[in-house]
Amino acid sequence: MNRSEIFDLMNAVMTKRGRPELVSEAQTTRAAVFRSLDFSETALRIEMKISRELAFDAASMRRIETVKDVLDFFEEAIRGS
Amino acid sequence: MLLPCGSNNLHIDDVCIDWTGLSLEAERLLGSAAQFAGLRVMFAISDIKTALAAVVYGMIHELDWGVIELSRVNNFLRTSFTEAGVTLINVSNGESVGVPPDLGEVVPGRITVMTSGTTGNSKLIAHSPATLNTFNRARSLPPNLWFVPYQLGTYAWYQMVMLGLFMPMQHLALGDSSDLAHSFEKVLSKHKVTAISSTPTFWRHILMSIDEETITHAPLLSISLGGEVVDQAILDRLSALYPDACIRHIYASSESGSAIVVSDGRAGFDRMILDQPDRTIQIKISQGRLFVRSPFGQLLSEGEWIDTGDLVAIRGERVHFLGRANGEMVNVGGQKAFPADIQALLLGHPSVLWAQVTGRRAPMVGQLPSASVVLSVQMDACTAEVMLIAYCAESLPDYAIPRFWDFPLSVPLGASLKS
Repeated sequence: MNRSEIFDLMNAVMTKRGRPELVSEAQTTRAAVFRSLDFSETALRIEMKISRELAFDAASMRRIETVKDVLDFFEEAIRGS
Repeated sequence: MLLPCGSNNLHIDDVCIDWTGLSLEAERLLGSAAQFAGLRVMFAISDIKTALAAVVYGMIHELDWGVIELSRVNNFLRTSFTEAGVTLINVSNGESVGVPPDLGEVVPGRITVMTSGTTGNSKLIAHSPATLNTFNRARSLPPNLWFVPYQLGTYAWYQMVMLGLFMPMQHLALGDSSDLAHSFEKVLSKHKVTAISSTPTFWRHILMSIDEETITHAPLLSISLGGEVVDQAILDRLSALYPDACIRHIYASSESGSAIVVSDGRAGFDRMILDQPDRTIQIKISQGRLFVRSPFGQLLSEGEWIDTGDLVAIRGERVHFLGRANGEMVNVGGQKAFPADIQALLLGHPSVLWAQVTGRRAPMVGQLPSASVVLSVQMDACTAEVMLIAYCAESLPDYAIPRFWDFPLSVPLGASLKS
């Protein structure tokens, strides 16, 4: 999965719950109301798409603040899985 | 010794039979009862008439016995029977099945009942005619023809058979559990069914499979629901379809017997029945689980409290069921979401016919709720998902709103009639 597909997946999670779409990578997850459960759902949907479990780095997860950080994190997790 | 009601009729397809007919059929099929003396025996059977005949045979001869559908017998059950000292007999050829057991204690009059296995592997539960004949608590029953949807050999099936054999003017029409909707429709076309005992899932399956006109054609006056959580939506739907019927939900299990009967049209039960030492059947809650002490419990319970394994919660004046204690709770990052609560909410939506909620393993938070929903109207999955998420958001915390959805086209109906 590439970055754009992950972004689309995050937006699908947001819009199904009646929240506005993410508009830029610079948005903070707090301002965009992208919550930990959305993060978990996105991760599971990625795992379903790529048919394998993601490899998570807990330290880098704690540093996530923006949409860009989320995308970086998932790209890295896909590469490491 | 219970006295049979010889004039009660038992309908199986086009056949109508009574106690005498069944006892003659049993002697023809099984021969002398002397061959089963000293054995704890289970009769493995493929058809309903033979199963009824075996019930009558077991009771007349006071055997240590039980019946089971032949198709249910698998390697696990064969081993369980051998370990419990049970000899399994295939009634169609009279031969024993599996490894002959070491003979254990034989208790004349004991009836071995298999649990449905919906909460794990089936278990052998010891009952007797007295503990299975739960309807004799009713002071009087009006004449009825009951439709029996249950799989032969299950606890609910035995209860219904005891009713038909021993309670005056309680006739039975036994359904074919392999094709219940067709079987129910056929019975409705031939007989005036006045009573039915079944599960919410059975009704949802029927409401999808048979047109409403045919369903309401039955002059139903008594509807009993049990076997799984009875939600408000199905109570409301059935009372709208059958405004003249008395609708009860009955809490019963193979282990504890029939314990709570509710007929006020509301889900859950009145908290006033808790902790009343004078009741014949006592109910208590300990650490969120329901316990029952009952003379109708399995024989081994000997009047002790039985942990039903069901989670309950007191809400106002009502006690509500939340599902099974062993794993039905969905742990979402430490927050507890109860599938029964979420299902009850979904079933209250006008476009939802059936719903099942489970936990799905998910990264970071452990589990996320996942819903399987049968819709009563045609709709694309994406629209349905958005609609139901918005609906859930009005009542549920974010962690309890299902994250994954699928929309099967029909209600999945297992042999136990439970979801």
